[in-house]
Amino acid sequence: MGHTAAGVASPGQSAALDFALIGHQESWRAAADVIAVLRGPERTPIPDDEIKDILPWIPPRTVCHVEIGSMIGTKARGLYIDSFIPPDRLEPAYVHENIARVRKAAACAINAGAKIISLGGFSSILIEGNFDQLPEKHDTVFTTGNTLTVAFIVQGIVRMCALEGRDLEKSTLLIVGATGDVGSGCARCLAPIVKRVLLTARNVDRLRRLATELESDGVEVETATDLQKFSAEADVVICAASLASPSLLLGRITSDAIVCDAGYPKNLSPSADMPDAKVFFGGLGQVTGGMRFTPDFHGVLNRHPFPDVVHGCLLEGMALALERRFEPFSQGRGFITLERVQEIETIAARHGIYLAPLYNANGPVEDALHLPDGMVERMSA
Amino acid sequence: MEPMISVNSSPMECSSSLSTTAPIWQDILAQAMTGELLAAMNYASLSEICDDPAEVADALEHAQGERGHGAAFAAEGRKIGVDVTNNVDAKHWKRLREAFLRCIAERDFIACLIVQEIMLESFAVASYSRVGKVAPGSLGKTFARIAAEEEDHVDHAMSILRAERAHDAQSFDDKVYRLHLDVMTTLAQMLAKECKDGHCEVCHHTCVKPSLFDVSLSAAELRGASLQQYLKTLDMLGLPGEVTLAWVTQLPV
Repeated sequence: MGHTAAGVASPGQSAALDFALIGHQESWRAAADVIAVLRGPERTPIPDDEIKDILPWIPPRTVCHVEIGSMIGTKARGLYIDSFIPPDRLEPAYVHENIARVRKAAACAINAGAKIISLGGFSSILIEGNFDQLPEKHDTVFTTGNTLTVAFIVQGIVRMCALEGRDLEKSTLLIVGATGDVGSGCARCLAPIVKRVLLTARNVDRLRRLATELESDGVEVETATDLQKFSAEADVVICAASLASPSLLLGRITSDAIVCDAGYPKNLSPSADMPDAKVFFGGLGQVTGGMRFTPDFHGVLNRHPFPDVVHGCLLEGMALALERRFEPFSQGRGFITLERVQEIETIAARHGIYLAPLYNANGPVEDALHLPDGMVERMSA
Repeated sequence: MEPMISVNSSPMECSSSLSTTAPIWQDILAQAMTGELLAAMNYASLSEICDDPAEVADALEHAQGERGHGAAFAAEGRKIGVDVTNNVDAKHWKRLREAFLRCIAERDFIACLIVQEIMLESFAVASYSRVGKVAPGSLGKTFARIAAEEEDHVDHAMSILRAERAHDAQSFDDKVYRLHLDVMTTLAQMLAKECKDGHCEVCHHTCVKPSLFDVSLSAAELRGASLQQYLKTLDMLGLPGEVTLAWVTQLPV
């Protein structure tokens, strides 16, 4: 580690860079915490209203260096680049501005020499199907990271069903945002193992196409653009809609339904009245081979109740970097298959990247006892 | 305080929309004019430490150009019937001048360029551009024109500074940081949403910042645009983005 001006530690410029993660903060609280770390503990925190004034002006740039370790002893080095999309400007009205921010963030990653770039949160939604809008790539490849996100959502559903003693094969699965890349990937993975599938999304044509695809495999599928039509019938729900803020109300949901909120930002409205539903946040993985941020953003860039938990979309790029497979594993929309999901989860597991312990807004819904064998000891070490 | 340029204003007829906002434009022009005259003084000082006759000529030409900008702002004031004064000894501007003079005392040509071209001009280019977009008529055109001219200065300095950084990036970055602490701290105080430490000694009466909304501007916008321009300029020089991000977030608000 070298030290540059201002005492900000930064790894030597000459060291090879494996990956870059492009992200943004999902709330003003999260954004304020990032600024607070950069500002340092010796300075008075910037008031929230000033954060809202300043953040939109920050050009996309590297926030910190990231090093991830594999269980087989290899390491990969990368950067976290924030596009600084303001948390309240994720709506369609800002789409051109936000695509420009992601492009600039991608340019930062390319200039830094990253071999693979993972697009986190809305970054991938903005670029999904528009990869030609990214800067000229040279030797850099992009992945949306959606395949590993799907893998962790599916694993989460399976684990939650096991925890609750549910038989997934007898379940009716509802996918909200079903025609998106993540939603359709979940549908392809879970449709063959549930009793019935309900798909909702805004685009009727895409819904029909997905339903036809699933039905050709003998799956019972119903579609609707009106979520309320289905919500009372489902006992397993995946929320994977591209929402600018947590505003989803599932309505008259089955009282003890299992609900996976896989959105970033979260899909479910805090006012959603589902007292008996078993809600968990999906699509998250945990690194067990060690992860280091420089400067130290632990618990700030990854705000989860368990250590070294990261969104699957970002972990995909890190897992591929550890595997030395610098390829655009996930691109476009609607290409995620069960085989690809199994392939990426095998790669991730080989390097000690597993489904994160499940939790929701109220905290953990399972404890470390449910982690894979030996994982607690490895993490403690 | 004696203005560096005596402006004999002869109030002229102005449109009704400008007559209501003229006191606001008067203060904006006063800040801009003060900045231009300070820049002129800085370039004149710079000419005294240059060894190369071409650099001397360049610095003197820039000084003349900045004086011309100051005169253009004064003329815009006259058009809307206000007297545009300046005060290079106002507390913030004086500190900026003193920071520059320390570089002169050290005969540090590169430090002078960093202060004037990277820090002060980022502020000027960004804020003039914003004002140029909302100010009516020739007032807006003048701000936009001067913003473009200031940007040309920066381009010229960038090639010199890039070459210097290529020689020894660590020493260069350390120097930029030292100057950042000195100069950008003062600029950040000037750009704060509210003047917390009393009157700036340039505005004519009370602080103009709360009134900026009346001319479709805001102090927050001018600060944001200025810091963004500063970060982009440092990016173009090749300083690591994560380092300059930390610098900017550590400035006073």
